[in-house]
Formats: sequence, structure tokens, C-alpha cells
Amino acid sequence: MRPDSRNRTGMLIGLATVAAVLIAWYVLTTVTQAISSARFPSPAEVASAFRQIAFTGYADGRLDQHVLQSCKLILMGFAAAAVIGVPLGLAMGFSRRFEAFFNPVFLLIRPIPPLAWIPLAIVWLGLGDAAKILVIWFAAFVPSVINSYTGVRSIEPHLLEAARTLGARNARLWLEVLVPGAAPHIFTGLRLSLQASWTTLVAGELIGALQGLGQVLNAAAQDLYPAMILVGMIFVGICGGGMTWILGRIERRAMPWRSA
Amino acid sequence: MSKIEFRKLSRRFERDGKSFPALEDIDLEVQEEEFVAIVGPSGCGKTTCLRLAAGLEFPSSGTVSVGGQEVRGPGPDRAVVFQQFALFPWKSVWQNIEFGLKSKGLGAEERSSRIAKQIEMMGLQGYETAFPHQLSGGMQQRVAIARAYVLDPVVLLMDEPFGALDAQTRTVMQEELVRLARVNPRTVLFITHAVEEAVYLADRVVVMTRRPGRIREIIDVKSVRAKEGWDRFEKIEEVMDQESFVHLRTSIWKLLREEQV
Amino acid sequence: MAAYPQQAALSRREFWTLSLSGLAAFFGLWSAIALSGITPPLFLPTPWAVVERMMELTTQPFAGYTIQEHLISSVGRYLMGFGLAVSVGIPLGLAMGWFRGLDAAITPLLEAVRFVAPIAWVPFAALWFGTGIGGPTLIIFTGAFPPALINAYRGARFVEPRLIEAARTLGAGNWRIIVEVLLPASVPSIVAGLRISAGLGWQSLIGAELIVASSGIGYLMVKGQSNISTTTVMSGMIAIGVVGVVIDVLLRRLQSRIETKRLGKGSAQD
Repeated sequence: MRPDSRNRTGMLIGLATVAAVLIAWYVLTTVTQAISSARFPSPAEVASAFRQIAFTGYADGRLDQHVLQSCKLILMGFAAAAVIGVPLGLAMGFSRRFEAFFNPVFLLIRPIPPLAWIPLAIVWLGLGDAAKILVIWFAAFVPSVINSYTGVRSIEPHLLEAARTLGARNARLWLEVLVPGAAPHIFTGLRLSLQASWTTLVAGELIGALQGLGQVLNAAAQDLYPAMILVGMIFVGICGGGMTWILGRIERRAMPWRSA
Repeated sequence: MSKIEFRKLSRRFERDGKSFPALEDIDLEVQEEEFVAIVGPSGCGKTTCLRLAAGLEFPSSGTVSVGGQEVRGPGPDRAVVFQQFALFPWKSVWQNIEFGLKSKGLGAEERSSRIAKQIEMMGLQGYETAFPHQLSGGMQQRVAIARAYVLDPVVLLMDEPFGALDAQTRTVMQEELVRLARVNPRTVLFITHAVEEAVYLADRVVVMTRRPGRIREIIDVKSVRAKEGWDRFEKIEEVMDQESFVHLRTSIWKLLREEQV
Repeated sequence: MAAYPQQAALSRREFWTLSLSGLAAFFGLWSAIALSGITPPLFLPTPWAVVERMMELTTQPFAGYTIQEHLISSVGRYLMGFGLAVSVGIPLGLAMGWFRGLDAAITPLLEAVRFVAPIAWVPFAALWFGTGIGGPTLIIFTGAFPPALINAYRGARFVEPRLIEAARTLGAGNWRIIVEVLLPASVPSIVAGLRISAGLGWQSLIGAELIVASSGIGYLMVKGQSNISTTTVMSGMIAIGVVGVVIDVLLRRLQSRIETKRLGKGSAQD
């Protein structure tokens, strides 16, 4: 089978299925009303919910405000976690002493799922932004450390020997060898951290927040407003996907030496 | 002062709580600007000799010194060329060559001119900004050699540098190395398991026994080369055609055969 | 030998000294802050206060049940959701890996929902199931399903073509190839997916229980939080961590045993 036609067939099948699902959605909710709108919204209802939140506002804010709020918290927690987690992971991967000292504590903290930190964070910092940033920090911290660690360990021994014979020490060793060498794994860690951050944030906002996509979901659930729930979910997906895409672009520019 | 001296050198390694000898009682002097090749059966410890001189490993007993100083650790004065090239994939050709120079505390201009000269010498013009994965094996090894040479090292340590190259590229690189050695001579310790390569390149060839590695015999090639005038030939195959060459090569082969059994 | 001295392996003594110092520093710091009075006792209890509370909770019910009962309730939900995710995800993943048509059809749908965090399903779960068992099960499903599916898919899709060619040249028909070649070849991937899936499922459960439950460890923690009983909250965290580790260890063992069976002794990886 010629590769071209295979790809095209694949794409067509894909499009056909998506279309089928959309049509089924429309038919089941609007035409036959087989699924009541109390359970799952119809396309029309979703559209109207979207218009409402985008232009008038819902749950104390317009869509752009909610998105901004959520993204802001993510970036703060994520950045703080990466800034501490990546160097820590690199250090643990490179220095056995460092590893021996920090690993036991890390092993204790690691099995606790990020979401499990939410109640504690609320006790400590209340229902505000600070608690959410703290939990996001925990969620993003663990993958950053683990992947940076793996990254350093994955550098081929010959490269490190070459670096040593060429006199690389301290700052040069770190900046010109360890960090670039571990870079692919570091980015994987960042991607996982980002995913974990979104999950944690939405959970946090579901529990209590003034603004944010999670808060939209929460309010919509309480108002028994399925169409708005769906709008909220869609935007959680879009924002999460968008950030991941941006990270991917940064990754490609940061590592120009990678072949495809 | 660039003599390499191995004195009563032994190296043991540990496994499962027991210790095995890798090298025993190595006494060898590589003179200034001498090219010495070490050949031997697999596992005889020839690479270990090089790593000891490089400071990447330490002797169990005995000493290894370079230029009169005992070797304490790796450094740019004993530049190493690895079999697997060991080029930093995230650095361009230029940046790879520059790497060791930065440890020497030279100014940017000085570095620039040295690198440019090295690039010309190794035939890398036009590839300055390329990354290793874009280069063929032969080109990568040229960069590795350039990276070592640019440091003007006291001693050049080469660990089966052409082992990962295909046969044709290999002969080209061997001719290059001979040319380089004529233009820019320095003390070289060269590890290989290819006898022809050793005889073509070296002044002396050290033949090692199988594990635990000892020096079996040291063959003087330089005098034969001088007497037979191999240097008048341009091409490697012309040299390898010489009866004197074949004779040397065969006698070393025979020695190695005995070690194989 | 290590290229740099920092990479050199540590002696046993050094290793244990450093490891224990690290732990001691952590608990020491914790206890010091807790005792010093910088923070109110409710805010940061001492480590031993937490342990005490954990013991208490095994006999004194809190938020309706003792801690073990909450745990059992959580694990029960978890197994339902995980079981569902795995029994749907693995066959579907395998099928998608073998039949390109199916892959082409379903992948776009999955890609569309890929970036919606499992927790975002909670409102619908609440809407459809209230605080019944359906809610958490749905959320565990959304968390545990993707890894199970993806790894089964990868296992099926990337089977060495040579194996299939060999089977064909030996006269095996499609059915035999699926059962005797593709399936066994996919097992390592499936098991790896199982392990990841188990971990993610457990995490998703906690999230669900924080919001839509009336029993379970997550519920215990939320109640603890609203009563400002930090020791209760921390006890819950420890319980969750321990169960998470147990799940992972069990699956790791399973993975090892399957690998040893396939590849012979000494090849089990960690």
C-alpha cells in the first residue's frame, strides 16, 4: 500500500469518527432528547454557555479572567518547583554524597500524591491562592527532581571522561556538560510537572477559589449547569494543551543539536 | 619534558570480592616525541595502560609519570582521543574544539586563532557550526583529534581512535595522522588491535601478553622505516607493500597468535 | 571508574551515615519548628503527635469510621475503577495497535480529551452519581485508563516485524498469530502500563474523594481539614502514601516475575 494513500485513509477514518460522534451528540440531545439536558448538554446549550462566560461572565468573572487566574497560579507554582527541583535532581544524580543525604527524605515525600497535600495546604494557608501555589509546587517538584536525576545519570560516561580530561570543573562542568547533557530528560520532567500542576490546580480550585477554571467547574456543578461544566472542561483542556505546546516549542529551540 | 614513564606498574580490579590482575609489572618509557603503539589480545589491559597515563584510573602498585611528574588525575596536558569520539552532542564543531581551550585561560582572540588553525589543519573548513550528529564518523574523529591537538598537549593519548570507522575512512585517517606527526610532532601513546596500523604509524610497537597483561616484546620500527625509506611513499598501500613492512607485521602477528592460544 | 570524584561509589559506612543524617535532619527540623512555638501547635504538630493520632484513629472513629474502615472503603472504590480501566483499556489498546483502521478512528477522539485533567470530570461525576460509588469510579477510570491503553497499544503496535514474518513463514494463520505471537509479545508493555495505571488511579481516587465522597481516606482528610485537625490530615497522608507504595511494590514484583519467566533468571529489571 502506498504510504500516501494509507495516511489519507487514516485521516478520513479519523474525521469520519469525529463527525459521527458530533452528529450523535446533536441527535441524542437535541433531536431525540434521549439524553436529557440535565445529564449532558446539547451543542446549542454549550454554545450559549460559552457566550455567557466569554462576554457576560460567570462565577465572578469572564472567561479570560478565569483563564488568566488559573494560568498565573500554574506558572508561579511550576516555575518555583522547577527552579528548585531541577538543580536538586541534577545534584543528586551527579554527587553520590548529595544523593545519599537527600534521597531518604525524598522517598518519604514521593509516594504522597500531590492532591493529598490539598487539605494540609488549606489548613496552613487558607483557601486562597497561596495554598494552591503550594500544592502545585509539590505536584511539579517530584517529576522535576526524578527526571533531572535520570538525565544526569543517562549522560554517557565517555562524555564525562572527555570533559574531565579537557579540564572542565565546577561552573563549566555544570553549565557546559551536565545541564545540556541532561536536557532531554529535564524537559520530559517539565512536561510531566506541567501536567501534574494542572490536575492539582483544578482540584484545588474545585474545593475553593474565587476565580479560576476550577472555580467555574465548581460553580457550574453547584448550579446544576452541565453546559457550563463542559465549557469549563474544554478550556481546561485547551489551556493545558496550549502550555504543553509552548513547552514543546521551547524544548526544540533549547536543544538545536537534536536530530529531528 | 614529555616522557611517559611506567615503572613497575600493576593494576588489579575487584569483582565479587575477589581481585584479579589486569596489568602486571609494566616497565615502559615513551621518549619525547616518540610514537609508541601498544597491541595485544582483547582484555590484555592495553587500554588500561592508556587510562593510567591519562589519570582516569590509578595503579594498584608502581607509578606512572609524565614529564617527571606522577600522574594524579586527568587534565588537558594529557589529551585523550576516545574510540567513541566522545564529542559533546550539544556543541558545534567549533565549540567542541574550543572546550579544552577554555580551561587554559586564554583570551577569546587567542582561542579563535588557534581553533581556526586547527580546523584548517584537520580539513574541517565549512563545518564549524555543524553538530556532531550531522557529521560522518570520519569527520567526527577529525573533530575529536582537533579538540585534543588544539590544546598543544604535552602528550597525546589515543585509545583505538579509528576502531569505529570503516576501512576506507580508516586508511585516510592513518595517512592524516602520519602527516600531522611530521608537521607537529609530539609524544603519542596509541592503542590498537590492528597490527598493520601499529607498524605503519609507530616508532616502536609494544606487544602485550594476554591477561594479566605483561610486556611480551618491544619491536623497533623506526630504524626499519629509516633504513627502508618508507617515508618516501605517499600512499599507505605502497608502504604496506614493502617486504620489510610485511616481515615486521607478520612477526608481530605470530607473537599475538601465541598469546591467543 | 567514575569520571569525576563526586560520582564515585560511597563506602557502606559513608552511605548509611549520610542517609541517616538526612532523615535525622528532616525530622529534627520538623520537631524543632513544632516545639519552638514559632507556629501554633495545631498548625504543625510534632511527628510523634501524628503517630499518636494515627493509632487513635484505628480505634476511634472519625468522620464516621475508623481509619482502617476508611481505607477499605477507598481501596474498594479504587479496585472498581482500576479494574474497569484495565479491562477496557488493555483490550482496546491491543486492538488499536493491531488494526490500523481502529487506531485511525479512535485516536482523534482520545487526543481531544487528552489534556482534560481527570479531576475535571468531578463535576459531571457529582451530577450523575452524587456521592455514590459511580463518581469516584468514573474519575479513577479517567486517570487509570490512558496509561493502560497507551502501553497496551505500544506493546501491540511495536512488536518486532521479524517475529510475525517468522510466524507466517511457519504457516500460522491470523488467529494463531494474534494469540501466540502478538499477545505474548505485548505482555511486558501491558504490565508496565498496569503499573503506571495503578499509580495514577490511586492518585485520582484521592482527588475524587476530596470532593465527592462520604467515606474514604480522602474524605477523612477533608473532614480533618475542616476541623483543623492537622494530625488527622497528616495521618491520612501517611496512609495514602503507604498504600501507594504497597501497590507499586506488588506490581513491581509482578513485573519482575513475568520478566524472569520470559527471559530467564537474572534479567529481572527494577
